[in-house]
Amino acid sequence: MGNVERCDKTLPTNEMIFRVRGDAALRARFVSDLEGLAREFGLSRAEYEALRDKDPRRMMDLGVHQYYVPQILRLFFGASHNSNAHAALECYKRAFPEETAQAMALQERLERGR
Amino acid sequence: MAQIVAAMAMTHSPGLTGWFTRASQEYQQLALQATAEMRRRLEAARPDVLVMFSNDHLLNWPINNTPEYTVGIADEHVGPAEWFDEWLAMEKYRVAGHSALARWIVNDGARRGLALAYLRQMQYDDGISVPTHYLNPDAQFRLIPVTMNCTVPPIPTPERAYRVGTLMREILRAHPGNERIAVIATGGLSHEPGGPRYFWVDEEFDRWFLDLLKRGDHEALLRECTLERMEAAGSGGTAELLAWVLVLAFTQGPADVLAYMPAVAWRSGTGMVVWNEMAK
Repeated sequence: MGNVERCDKTLPTNEMIFRVRGDAALRARFVSDLEGLAREFGLSRAEYEALRDKDPRRMMDLGVHQYYVPQILRLFFGASHNSNAHAALECYKRAFPEETAQAMALQERLERGR
Repeated sequence: MAQIVAAMAMTHSPGLTGWFTRASQEYQQLALQATAEMRRRLEAARPDVLVMFSNDHLLNWPINNTPEYTVGIADEHVGPAEWFDEWLAMEKYRVAGHSALARWIVNDGARRGLALAYLRQMQYDDGISVPTHYLNPDAQFRLIPVTMNCTVPPIPTPERAYRVGTLMREILRAHPGNERIAVIATGGLSHEPGGPRYFWVDEEFDRWFLDLLKRGDHEALLRECTLERMEAAGSGGTAELLAWVLVLAFTQGPADVLAYMPAVAWRSGTGMVVWNEMAK
């Protein structure tokens, strides 16, 4: 079915983000010591590297739930002013250029039509 | 007995508070007018309590244990959750709960074969916070939040949501009190939060879905609007419309569509709907 069906419900990253997100100390460690944190939560090397490289495509290929991917990026770049110009969204534009181009063309079309 | 006095639905996209001004002036105006009209109609219906059906974005429950539905039974609800307040650009709010009715929902659900999880302390992200900001800004109405899973497989079907809505209607109306209850669905329309099509909005699907609501033919909607069709219009997000399908079961006849905006800037098809007639 859809993209959400690709998630691996047993992937350690999915457990880690649930814990990190609501804990200020873990949020700080996510930025300062991601590798150590990943080791503690049992992430594979590939999971850690996809997070480190801020790559949404690789994260989802490994089974990170799609809800958690923008949250991971907001942990790196900050949560406020999360418009389409936010650094977290720039990672999506890099990872999914075709899908992004289609959406931006749609927006242009919609705005031109008014 | 308690009675249902209003039924409504609206998008809960975080952009509606977090980066509202990044959409066009036209969309901002439409959203403000439509939510003001919803608030006006809500006040006219004089509810004592709002039962809000939203989804848990993996906030309250970890991915290894995602109940189908969860009821917030607290005396008071406080949101947004830590870290999400900054994202939503919202100050903390406090809304009185209705613990007696919420606990009734859980226990009467069990008597009717409907398994409902509950939380004494629930956390809130956009799902409850954005509609609260627009519809209950002064916290004049008490709140019972009910969250569902529509994003961790297996995702329930629209038929199941409608069935749960029918049971919820019976549960609420059987409550031995005299509460006036408004039911509000939050979520949708088309979007794919965090997926490859994160920026995409499926205007064609959204207008088709809203037309089905305007027709008020529940059987046709359940026949045509399958989970597969929702997923095709934006995976992991469009199925938030299951909350709308649940609330549909409280209603009869056509819905008024107050506004629709294919808002790429808010990363969601954005709409506001009010039903005029409650199911007998």
